[in-house]
Amino acid sequence: MVFSDLFFLFVFIPAFALCYLLATFIDKKYLSNSVKQVNTCKNWTLVIYSLIFYAWGEPVYVFLMLFSVFVNFLVGRFIDSQQDEKKRKTALVIGLVANISIIAIFKYLGFLSQILIDLGIPISRPNIALPIGISFYTFQAISYIMDVYRRVSPAQKRYRDLLLYISMFPQLIAGPIVRYETIASEINNRHVTAQDFADGSFRFLVGLGKKVIMANQLSIISTQFLSDGINDMSTSGAWIGCAAFMLQIYFDFSGYSDMAIGMGRCMGFHFKENFNHPYCCETITDYWRRWHISLGSFFRDYVYIPMGGNRRHQALNIGVVWALTGLWHGASWNFVIWGLYFGVIVLFEKYVLLPYIKPKTPKFLLHIYSLMVLFVAKGTFYFVDFGELKIFLSSLFGFADVKFDFVSQAAIFDHFWLWVVAILFCMPIREKACNLTTRFCKGNVALEQNIFTVARIVTAVVILVLSVALLVGATNNPFLYTRF
Amino acid sequence: MKKRTYSYLIIVLTIYAAFTVLFTMLPRSTFSALEKRELATFPPLTLESLAKGTFTNSVSQWFSDSEPYRDNFMTMSMWFSDNTKLRMFHNNQSKVKFHAADSKNLTEGADVIAAAGNRNIDEYDNQVNANANAKVAHHGIIIAGEGANVRALMAYGGAEEGGVNYAKACNEYQRTFPNVKVYCMLVPTAGEFYCPDAAKEATKPELPTIQAIHNRLSDSVKVVNAYSALAAHVKEPIYLRTDHHWAPLGAFYAAQAFARVANVPFKELNSYDKKVIHNFVGTMYGFSRDISVKNAPEDFVYYVPRGVTYTTDYIHFKTNGNFQTVGEGPKVAGEYFYSYPDGSGAAYSTFMGGDAKITHVNTSTKNGRRLLIIKDSFGNAIPGYLFYSFEDIHVVDFRYFSKNMKKYVTDNNITDILMFSEIFRAYASGQELINFLTQPDGTYTAKGGGKNDAADNKKQAKKRRK
Repeated sequence: MVFSDLFFLFVFIPAFALCYLLATFIDKKYLSNSVKQVNTCKNWTLVIYSLIFYAWGEPVYVFLMLFSVFVNFLVGRFIDSQQDEKKRKTALVIGLVANISIIAIFKYLGFLSQILIDLGIPISRPNIALPIGISFYTFQAISYIMDVYRRVSPAQKRYRDLLLYISMFPQLIAGPIVRYETIASEINNRHVTAQDFADGSFRFLVGLGKKVIMANQLSIISTQFLSDGINDMSTSGAWIGCAAFMLQIYFDFSGYSDMAIGMGRCMGFHFKENFNHPYCCETITDYWRRWHISLGSFFRDYVYIPMGGNRRHQALNIGVVWALTGLWHGASWNFVIWGLYFGVIVLFEKYVLLPYIKPKTPKFLLHIYSLMVLFVAKGTFYFVDFGELKIFLSSLFGFADVKFDFVSQAAIFDHFWLWVVAILFCMPIREKACNLTTRFCKGNVALEQNIFTVARIVTAVVILVLSVALLVGATNNPFLYTRF
Repeated sequence: MKKRTYSYLIIVLTIYAAFTVLFTMLPRSTFSALEKRELATFPPLTLESLAKGTFTNSVSQWFSDSEPYRDNFMTMSMWFSDNTKLRMFHNNQSKVKFHAADSKNLTEGADVIAAAGNRNIDEYDNQVNANANAKVAHHGIIIAGEGANVRALMAYGGAEEGGVNYAKACNEYQRTFPNVKVYCMLVPTAGEFYCPDAAKEATKPELPTIQAIHNRLSDSVKVVNAYSALAAHVKEPIYLRTDHHWAPLGAFYAAQAFARVANVPFKELNSYDKKVIHNFVGTMYGFSRDISVKNAPEDFVYYVPRGVTYTTDYIHFKTNGNFQTVGEGPKVAGEYFYSYPDGSGAAYSTFMGGDAKITHVNTSTKNGRRLLIIKDSFGNAIPGYLFYSFEDIHVVDFRYFSKNMKKYVTDNNITDILMFSEIFRAYASGQELINFLTQPDGTYTAKGGGKNDAADNKKQAKKRRK
């Protein structure tokens, strides 16, 4: 199930909301006398619905997730129960090996065996389907045992509650990667105010709009140029297609994160932000502090710093982190190249750009530089097929037969307002609008709040109605075209 | 503060709840008039489909395919898409310029008659809406012009080398039936004549493929040059603007060209009663998802012959969900012209009511000529003009034919076979036609329509280039 699915929006969510409300009522009425607030019914409801949510797309692999959580549960309990550092460390290593093995088998075995086959070793390529969300939940599991090992958080005493942390449907399949320490206390002790619910639901709708109104529409353009039009790609087509994809992936991914954060908020969980206007960055180093923040900080805290950080062999550490970042995104060479490309750029920035060039360069030039670097990166990210990547890059740099064509021109003018709105919403215009309103109201708090409320209501209603209309037409079943 | 929060919550949650009720409680749609297709039905539950995840997947698909008021929501989303474009470049009706007529292709009479049967076809330059605005809509459909002049055109992706099998099939039929006259008629789609210059890069010319198929035909196969016959009448409504088919008037000129090559009698349009279905919006609306197509309905004009008597028999095929034949009914008598009310999107089914059948028309003409038309849906508009020309007309759709062709031709004493196809279909067809010659009666494996020609064609072109 995905968030931008009518079934999710109008069957799953309402059913879950009803059950969750009922569970909240039971918890309050009958179970609130417990010495410690544990949210028994609420948590069971959330876990069961999360499992249904996952099983909806992965009816078999749901057991793999249950098993993975069980292993991590045992490892966490063991680490917590031991005082001997050696034993704790051994348990941690076993846990890490188990997690990495699971992800290696289900995500990378095909890729690895293909490498061996390419090297001439006669083995057969296993055909293992990638379980949805395995990269996300495995990383959360790693975060859990690491946090327990570092004594940042105590181990979870209930399997159910650990399962809740790992499988919680808002962040299960597409992030953000929520650290255990972030929500550890909220698992058993959380409450929601009307303001929380209003903020959360608004955030959810903003995410829905980003996904359905922006990303899905932009994907029509990117598919037109980068997928369908790859064989007759013009230079302008490569730029337009890649620009559309760049915007699409931002709205798609940040939309998902917004929906996750919003749903979490409606239930009393406070996930950390995952995006901070990444395309407003001045450098690529800056970009990675703004894009998929939860992944960047995961690698920083659990790989880069333990490897020595900037204290020893920093270049190697950076290289490893970026190769892993690339691989995390997918088991194929283009992602490795994509990761290493960023590694090289980040190193270049560290040793050349940041100390020598940045202080003397105007901001807008730095911004253009960053966007150019990202342009090539997003293209590399898009094409798993090397032949297609070659066509794309050569077209992008002007080696196409056709430099400018009608189709690219049409793609700009026929979706003109979509482009305008997309580019505007990559910038912090909401903050700007709020500041302007505040200045306009000159301290009249009631007026200011009224404006905010009306704006919020209008935005929410427009997004909801429009998203539903766009989702209804979004099924791609073939038409009964030549029936007559 | 609290008041404001609650007013927000009440409004948003009420609308959300209303949508929930709408999508879960109201009766679901079963047919989309907009897309002209049956909508998904609730999937059957089996242990296997549950384990594989196909059941849950199908439930989600069913849910987001059969929504109540589906067409209304889609119209709304098309309205939205339409409004993301920059009006400045689109709202100027007067920008649609019409070129002056070019005498080369527009003189009727001697030239056209000479062109009929000629294998070398002159290229055609758009003389109608070359300077019209154009945009590319969903599925790569080119939307040309504005307002009431809007035309939706399928982009052609085929290369010159395509259609080899179609030519092979025509040759094979001529070899198999040496005593039967075999004709080949290939019809271009509207894009060939009406694509504005601005959108030329979004499609390919169809003529090279047509010409290449002609060049592959053996000398004994007779070519009917429908291309030039149509090119001579581009200023008349020979193609539907909102449908992927041609208009019955276009079929008239093609039938005329055929009658000349076949050397059979042929009556002018004044021997026909003109019938009109008003407010027709064809397949291209749902296909392109462009609201401007919906806003430009057209008249579907067809012609019913006068002064000739005829009877029509059908053998209807039973088809499955994938448009494959699974059985056939008995021979039944029926009407050749079905009637549809104004505003019906199914107007093109006027002829024989559709494709999945074998049609036999017996006419009062007595000249010993018995015609078999093997066609795709474009061909449905042809037979109605040939009742004065042949005493028997058999119509077979090459996507739905279950019998042995040799036996069929012999049993019915066929004297003429018209191999007819529009170029999109001919591009990828041919082998099934050859298979008809050897398959036993009752072969129900024929693949049917239901697919998107344009997309298919594009895919093939892509594959070939790779």
